[in-house]
Parts: sequence; C-alpha cells; structure tokens
Amino acid sequence: MNVREIVRLQGHLVDSLILAKVLDTILEAGATYRILDFDVGVTATDESRLRLEVTAADSDLLDRLLTELQVHGVNREEQADAELRAADADGVLPEGFYSTTNLATWVRIDGRWIPVATPEMDCAVVVENAPQGSVPGGLRARTLPMHQVRTGDRVVVGWRGLRVEWPERSPEAEGFGFMSSEVSSEKPKGVIVARVADALRRARTLRETDATRGENSAAVGKVLAVCGPAVVHTGAAPALARLVRDGWVNVLFAGNGFATHDIESAVLGTSLGVPLDGGVSGEHGHANHLRVINEVRRFGSIHAAVDAGWLTSGVLYECVVRGIPVVLGGSVRDDGPLPDVLTDTLVALDAMRREIPGVGLALMLASTLHAIATGNLLPAGVETFCVDINQAVATKLTDRGSHQAVGIVTDVGLFVSDLADLLCGPVDHDSGPERSHRT
Amino acid sequence: VKARVPTGSLAWGRRFLLCAPEYFTVSYEINPHMHTALRPDRDRAHSQFTGLVDALRAAGAQLAFLPAEKGLPDLVFTANAGLVDGQRFIPARFRHPERQGETPHDVAWFHTEGFRVTPLGTEEPWEGAGDVLPVGLTGDPHTRPVLVAGYRTRSAIGAHNALGELLGVPVRSVELVDSRYYHLDLVLCPLDDRRALIAPQGLDRYGIRVLSQVVPEPIWLSDDEAAAFCANSVVVGDTVVMPACTSRLDRVLHEAGFSVLVSPVGEFLKAGGGCRCLTLALDVDLSPARRVSSLR
Repeated sequence: MNVREIVRLQGHLVDSLILAKVLDTILEAGATYRILDFDVGVTATDESRLRLEVTAADSDLLDRLLTELQVHGVNREEQADAELRAADADGVLPEGFYSTTNLATWVRIDGRWIPVATPEMDCAVVVENAPQGSVPGGLRARTLPMHQVRTGDRVVVGWRGLRVEWPERSPEAEGFGFMSSEVSSEKPKGVIVARVADALRRARTLRETDATRGENSAAVGKVLAVCGPAVVHTGAAPALARLVRDGWVNVLFAGNGFATHDIESAVLGTSLGVPLDGGVSGEHGHANHLRVINEVRRFGSIHAAVDAGWLTSGVLYECVVRGIPVVLGGSVRDDGPLPDVLTDTLVALDAMRREIPGVGLALMLASTLHAIATGNLLPAGVETFCVDINQAVATKLTDRGSHQAVGIVTDVGLFVSDLADLLCGPVDHDSGPERSHRT
Repeated sequence: VKARVPTGSLAWGRRFLLCAPEYFTVSYEINPHMHTALRPDRDRAHSQFTGLVDALRAAGAQLAFLPAEKGLPDLVFTANAGLVDGQRFIPARFRHPERQGETPHDVAWFHTEGFRVTPLGTEEPWEGAGDVLPVGLTGDPHTRPVLVAGYRTRSAIGAHNALGELLGVPVRSVELVDSRYYHLDLVLCPLDDRRALIAPQGLDRYGIRVLSQVVPEPIWLSDDEAAAFCANSVVVGDTVVMPACTSRLDRVLHEAGFSVLVSPVGEFLKAGGGCRCLTLALDVDLSPARRVSSLR
C-alpha cells in the first residue's frame, strides 16, 4: 500500500539546511517526496515556505516518518478533523456525505486518525462509540451502505480529515506485471495458472500462520470464489469441488444458475440438460434444472438435500460438508429459485458483506454480475483474478475501480482443472471422486 | 558612557544577569546530568558562584542579580530566562513543568528594570538564550549577524519561526542530536567576528555545515573538552570565563588573542549547567541583524 500526505514546512529552510535534512530524512526512510510549492524568502530575514507530498510504502512508515519530521518543523497540511453530521432519516445519508473509495481509509476525529473498518466503495463513513476501553479515543469508524444508515448515525460529510492509502502490488505478485495492467489473452496459460496457484498457496500460508495467533485475531488470507454457470457448463465443477474439498476455497458467492447447474450435474449428470460426459441431450433435458430446483425446494434447503443423502457430490455439496459459507444472490430472470437464494438484493449484498472481512484473494470464475457486485464490495488490495472467455468482463471489473483485478482471458474449464491439478495433484479421470457426477 | 568596543570583538557580553544559588539543588531530573541522588554541596556551590562573579567582574563585566526563589532550584540558570534584544525581553517557554514556575519571576524582574516584555507568540517550547546565540554580532558593521538556534531536546523548531518573525532576523536552526548537549550553549560559544568554540559532538552533519558557514574559523572541541562543557563559557571582550579548559584549548585561545579564566562550577554541572548557563547577557541588540537584507 502506498500512502501519501501533504505536509508544510516554514522557516529559514535553505540556510539552516533544514530543507536538505528533511528531504534526506524522507529518502533515508525509504519514502519519496514531491515538491508542490516552494516559496523561497527574498531577503535573509524572510522565511521560506514549502509544501511537500510525501509518499511511503505503508501507513506505519508514514506515521513514523512524519513524527520524526515534525521535530524539524514539518507539519501535516490537513490538520482539520472530519466533519460529522447526524443522519435525519433511516436509509438516507446527510447532504454532502463523503462517498468512499475501496481504498484503506482513515478519518481524523479529535486530532486522532481512526482507521475505517471494511473499506468498500460508494458507501458512507460512520463514526460510532467503540466498546469501553477497546480503542484509544473510544471511537471507531466503518463504511456503511446507504440503505443501512439509521437516524442519528454520525456520518462524515465533506472531504476534510480523510486520508486514503493506495494499494501497491506485493513483490510476490510482481510476476503479473508482464500482463500489463489489465487483461491478457496472449500469455502462456500454464505460466498464469502456476502464478495463480502460487497466490493461493501464499494465502493459505497466511491463513495458517494467522490461525496460530489465537482465536481473537481476525481471519486473513481467505480465498473467495465467485462462480458463474459456465463453470459447470465447461465441466470445471468437479475440479472446483476438489479445490473446495482440499481447503483452497473458503467462501463462495454465486447465483441461482451456478448452484442449480452444479446440483443438476451432480444429481443428473447434465448441465442445462446436456450430459457432461459427452452424450447427446436427452428428451426434455432442458427441464432437468427445473426438476432439480423443485426437488431442493421440497427438501427446504441445499443443506437439507445433503443431509437427506439426495445430493452427494459437486461444489455445493463440498461446501455444505466442509461448512464453507455460500451466499447465493438472486435476480429477476432466475428460475425457481433454489430455496437458498436470497431474492432481496440488499439482503444478498449484506450477506456478501458479512463474508468479505479477511478475504485476501478473490477468484472470479466466468461470472459477470456477481463478479462485478463482489468487486464493488472488495477493499482495494485484495488480489483478484478474473477468469473469463470474454475479455469484456475483466475489463469491466478493472474499469469499475477494482484496480487490483488481473484479467485472464481463457476457458474457465481448462483453467480450473489445471489449477486443481497443480494444487490438489492430478487425478485419474477414470476413477475416484471425479466419477461422482456421472449418475 | 559606553565602552568602546574593538572592531571584531563581540558587540555584547559586558552586562549579565545572574541568580545566587540560595535554593539551588537537584530535586528533579530533566537532563542526563541530573541525579537526585547526587545533590550539589550547598557551601561549595556558593563559593563557586562567588568565584564566577569575581571572574566576570575581573574580566570587566557588569552584573545584575535576580532574587532567588524557594522551590525554583534552576532559577540560577538565568541563560534560559529568555532573550534580550535592546530594551525588549522575550521570556522563555520552558518545556518542563519543573521550570515553568521561573518565568513569572523573570518577567517581573525585567518589567521592573524597564524592559518591554514581549511574548514569543507560540505554544512551542523555547528555552531562551540557552538555545539561541547571535553569531557575527560584533563591532564590525560589515559582518552579517545571524541568530543560531538549537532545537529538539528542549526548544522546538516551530519556536524558531516565531522568533524569526518577531525579531526580524535571520535564524539558522541547528538540531541538537545528543541529549547530553541539550542546549545550544553547550555546543557553541561565539568568541569574536570570526571565531567560535564548537562541539561537533552535539550536532549532526547539517548543523556542522551551517556553523561552518557562519563561523569562518571554528575552534572544534575534542570529546573531553565538549564533555567538560568548555563551550559553556562566557566571553567578556577578550576574556573567556570557562568552567574548565585543557592545555591545548588554552594555547589555541591565547594564540587567538584571548585570555582564559577558569572558574570551576562543578556543583552546577551536577544540574547540567556551566558558566554560560549561569548568566544571561543583558546587552544583546539585534538591530544590525535586522539591517541585513541581501539576496540569499
């Protein structure tokens, strides 16, 4: 993460070598600077005035550096606290509310910089009392989507007293630099799959080292998979199920389509009626998915269908068995839908929001709407891989401000199978769990 | 009648304010030299103070005395009371609460003596003449006097900006990087238009360069000389009243035309102060520095 702060300095800077000292101190700390304004005093008794933008790798380094620079007279330009205004109606933000980015954000209250929890774009920032003694200053801040605001919530208005951090690719992720900034269809897929596998391994290491820190530490390095129905159509569901079973996926977002076809392929061996083992479409096959939805509705939930022994394989089966949180969001063109689908979009988004904290890596697999909805919720800096045969999806995601997204234009079926082979080991395709989708 | 000041000699340093050590002790620790377990000997402190008074008078200085106050042991270190500029007195803003009680007494004395008392106009700490010394303020009208100011341990650099604006003089801020040399007057002692004693031990490379620019012929102190507070000396014309001196430094000063008077102040060193700390120059007039208006 790159953090910036504009600072001011005044005095007999040139002759006292304070300017040289300040600039050297910045560079020696590993930070950089840009001189914005420099007004050199004309006579010996005139003071000089300098405005400087200081950029550091992270907030801690910047704070330490600015504390050190303060000794030499360097002060933050923004000394004002953020302005707070109480919301006067439920679901309505006060006029002039600060609209968030997906960047890590700090808000200044009573001279203290408070981190804003759960960074998310296009939200408001609310400041509230923290539990007694939990944080210095007794206040905490978090993002709040418009519909969640309640009368009396203290909302940040204007732009004063706010600071954001820019994400910077981790050195490990530098390998993706060659794919330019956005989308790649030209690069050797094997190399790309290997790099994504490395990213997943890093996330797992992070999770496991974090787990040793005790129960109270927040989860980190969670892997989120956002899946479109093409994952099933292209035959990638068994490979994804393997990834879930072996613990490579920790959260799953999808819609009615993916869930339905995953269950259809697990139970009937077809996807939209087409047999996945290469056979020809059966009579009335196009209604298979409706029959599957209907059965699950009879059970009452996917979990109940698993408990009853009706659903015995597939991605959702593995999720249920392993206790992986799944959020299924609905839309107006859904058939059924499955009883687990959250048909109120605000409820669905809030359910997704609850699973976001701790996500360190997101795999967007052949999903357009859910990928973009998820991209809107993710804080900047979450490593995101967007795999789609359609270049437009990856482009759309990066265009929407999810700067951290790397687009991989390829067939999701091949990609997920290769990824599962790399992470779970190759499987004998004639035996073992891979057969389970063939009824 | 003002004594004629030889060209090249300091234009200040003939009148000083002192405060007798009636209530001097070490009852708190606000610098690395102070140890409450190592209290000064009262009688010895008195005789050392009398020795300093005699030495300054022998050098030709006129002395005034600030009444001692019970409960203000460091009032003896008048250098930190503030800064005199002509008929104006700018009181210090002590960093430590232990010394903040001194200021009303300092202000009262200067008020009674007819000085105009001007506050610095900042919240920042600033410890008076202990942290600012005029360099190049001599009888020579061609020198360009500047105010050298120390910061970090006691004074804040923000106060230097306020000082420069209030006085209208160029201020050269130097960082005091070693907490043993917590005031500027422990590392710098202007001698005349070209020379000064400088203890580089308390400065960083920037500070050393700044002082090299404003002092054409610096006399650098050795580690031992710096630690013995040789820079904390009082210059009265061509006499240097020093808390200690080495034979090397004595020779160097003699060659430069100065005579040395060593006035031991060991009991005051226990509180972190030497000869200069025990005096405040009452005859500093920064008008020549204000006249400087050359392009940088």
